[in-house]
Amino acid sequence: MTNLNTKKIPSWCPGCYNFQILAGVKKVIEAKIKAGQKKEDFMVVSGIGCHGKILDYINLNGIHTLHGRVLPTCLGMKVGNPNLTVLGFSGDGDAYAEGMEHLIHAARYNSDFKYFVHNNQVFALTVGQPTPTTEIGFKDKTTPLGVKFPPINPIKLMLASGATFVARVFADVGQIEFVLKEALKHKGFAFIEVLQPCIIFHKDEGYQDKVYSLDKVGHDKSNFEAAWKKAQEFDYNAVEKIPLGIFYQTQKPVLEEQFEQLVELKKKGIGWKNVKR
Amino acid sequence: MRVNILFGGKAGQGANVLTEVMGKALVKQGYYVFYSRDYQSLIRGGHNFNVLTFSEVPVHSNDKAIDILVQLDENTTKIHKKDLKKNGISLVGHTENMYYAGALFKIFGLDFRILETELKALGKKFEENIQEATKGWEDTKTNMQITKVEGKKIRFLDGSQAIADSAIKSGLDIYYAYPMTPATTVLSELAGKQIANNFLTLQLENEISVINAAIGSAITGARAMIGTSGGGFDLMTESLSLAGMIDIPLVIYLSQRPGPATGVATYTAQEDLNTARCSGHGDFPRLLVAPGDIKESEELTNQAFYFAEKYKIPSIIINDKHLGESYYTETESPTMLKIKKLTPLARHSGNETDKDGLTTSDPEIVKKNVDERMAKIELMEKDMKKFETFKIYGNKNSKNLIVFWGSTKGAIIDAMGNLDCRALQILYLEPFPTEIKNELLKAQNLILVENNKKGQLGELIAEKTGIFFNDKNKILKYDGRAFDCDELQKEIKGMLK
Repeated sequence: MTNLNTKKIPSWCPGCYNFQILAGVKKVIEAKIKAGQKKEDFMVVSGIGCHGKILDYINLNGIHTLHGRVLPTCLGMKVGNPNLTVLGFSGDGDAYAEGMEHLIHAARYNSDFKYFVHNNQVFALTVGQPTPTTEIGFKDKTTPLGVKFPPINPIKLMLASGATFVARVFADVGQIEFVLKEALKHKGFAFIEVLQPCIIFHKDEGYQDKVYSLDKVGHDKSNFEAAWKKAQEFDYNAVEKIPLGIFYQTQKPVLEEQFEQLVELKKKGIGWKNVKR
Repeated sequence: MRVNILFGGKAGQGANVLTEVMGKALVKQGYYVFYSRDYQSLIRGGHNFNVLTFSEVPVHSNDKAIDILVQLDENTTKIHKKDLKKNGISLVGHTENMYYAGALFKIFGLDFRILETELKALGKKFEENIQEATKGWEDTKTNMQITKVEGKKIRFLDGSQAIADSAIKSGLDIYYAYPMTPATTVLSELAGKQIANNFLTLQLENEISVINAAIGSAITGARAMIGTSGGGFDLMTESLSLAGMIDIPLVIYLSQRPGPATGVATYTAQEDLNTARCSGHGDFPRLLVAPGDIKESEELTNQAFYFAEKYKIPSIIINDKHLGESYYTETESPTMLKIKKLTPLARHSGNETDKDGLTTSDPEIVKKNVDERMAKIELMEKDMKKFETFKIYGNKNSKNLIVFWGSTKGAIIDAMGNLDCRALQILYLEPFPTEIKNELLKAQNLILVENNKKGQLGELIAEKTGIFFNDKNKILKYDGRAFDCDELQKEIKGMLK
């Protein structure tokens, strides 16, 4: 049986929701490998923050890269070899602060990799400072006067930027499995936000009582206006209701299909490394 | 014979095409040609000019004193008339560029049919151009007859083409860049050749994305190269440190222009030696090479790929606007290595990791990792001895030694002529060829020539050898312009012992 465990004992806090994300991702990849995909076909890229340790706990190739640079690294891997399955993992600081410019362009480029944002609405590994998705009024040692600025809404940002797959799930094994399977079926960039409350610095403010499934209420994920409307229900500030699932999915040209050089690599099932000149 | 022609006009008037047509025609007549481009950061209007120098012996620079002044507008007259030699030729009164091509062909007594061929090769506006050229031909008299020089096969290209071609020959797979003068010429050069040579060029949202995408591609085993100028390089440096830590190859083209900040965006300087050598946090190995002409651009680009792949390090080729965007004639072919791809798929991390690629803070492993990384430098120092890491020119027995790096080579070599001096060019700046100390010690009079204010190479030499340059013996130019041969010669003469 395929096992993607490493020798490393996770250093996340006991009970951290990151364990749920890790378990969900591993289950899906292990099943893919069992079904015949090669282990070497997968690449994992993680950024800086608690989430970034995920590569230490998954025995796949990849890189634990710098803060904010997960997206261009994933893009470079797909351009380097379009046949690889590339999974990117970021935190909310990584995705929405340090690497914000890459996020908007990743939606534009539509390269065929899958991107998880572990959004705990706080810089946890640096002991609790506010991020761009922290609610107004949040206080910590660095911000004793409280957060003054409204959080950004990543779902709206991704919809506006032209992303072809926009989803939000809660950090739960089953939900991660579901959304990753769907994202892998999708051709193009998949944006997946995971609500992952930090049990130390940004506790679950009753999120689990407020969430509901878009699928169950008959949301039409091919309808952009409906997706936009649903995206506005949760502004990351006041918690009333939080829709989960796939907000929007559409087909647009994929980066790797727009360059004949890359189409050729895909056809031959190789990366640049094995191009004979 | 050394003839300097200045072509001046507003941006958009076609001084560039005119210079190129004349350059190519003269090269075909067997002449050595060098031309540089002086242009402002604007698209239409302003004042742009090119200076073309040709001779039957090799030329690599222009002179300040002009033999023929081609004036496409009044501004050219106002600005450059003072530099026209007493017996120089003033071509003025017309605004159409090819009028002057006809005039120059007549002056040199060249066959008009050669010009016709060059104009046809432009592929557009032929009728209009030939009409103008005919007028220029008819209006002018021959008074500087030149004859065809036989027997040489001369290549005519700028430094950017040399670097791009060498990258292709070195097995380039992907070139990422964000536009920035003067590095963009390499991007456009490569972009135009990507289909025919089966590689890819990709412009991304900024330089940070560019270097990280290249790191991503390199991890998959692709041969990646990136290009930028000083400001863009600054943005890349955090990731340069990452590239220096993990075991992947990466080639960086850094083309300098005057700084700090935006500086003089379309001009030339050698101000980024320190940043190229020292940037990036932490200790890590890198290669830094500086070509001074076309052949060196080709060979050092190839060697940059060689070291990057073999030692899995970032290799930086430092160049500038002057060499990158000036046209040179080259008669020799470069020596190129074939470089195998050696990078396996693996786990990488910006954190210190153990043998399984897992994050660690164990002091023994941390120390071992640092030692292993830095041991690459020693291996590179040994390996680089098989290449020319520095070169010596001129009178072997002279007590005068001019020391330089990069694009100042052209003006220095031309200016040395029959003067009693030697010159030392340093091509490898990191790792540094400390053997040059012997050459420095042999000389009694050291002269430093650099295109910057601080004398950055001088500082580097002092750091590595303990030998300092006397402030009175530094020829430093930092007005955004390259050295002119005649003016530099005067300065060198004044310092010889």
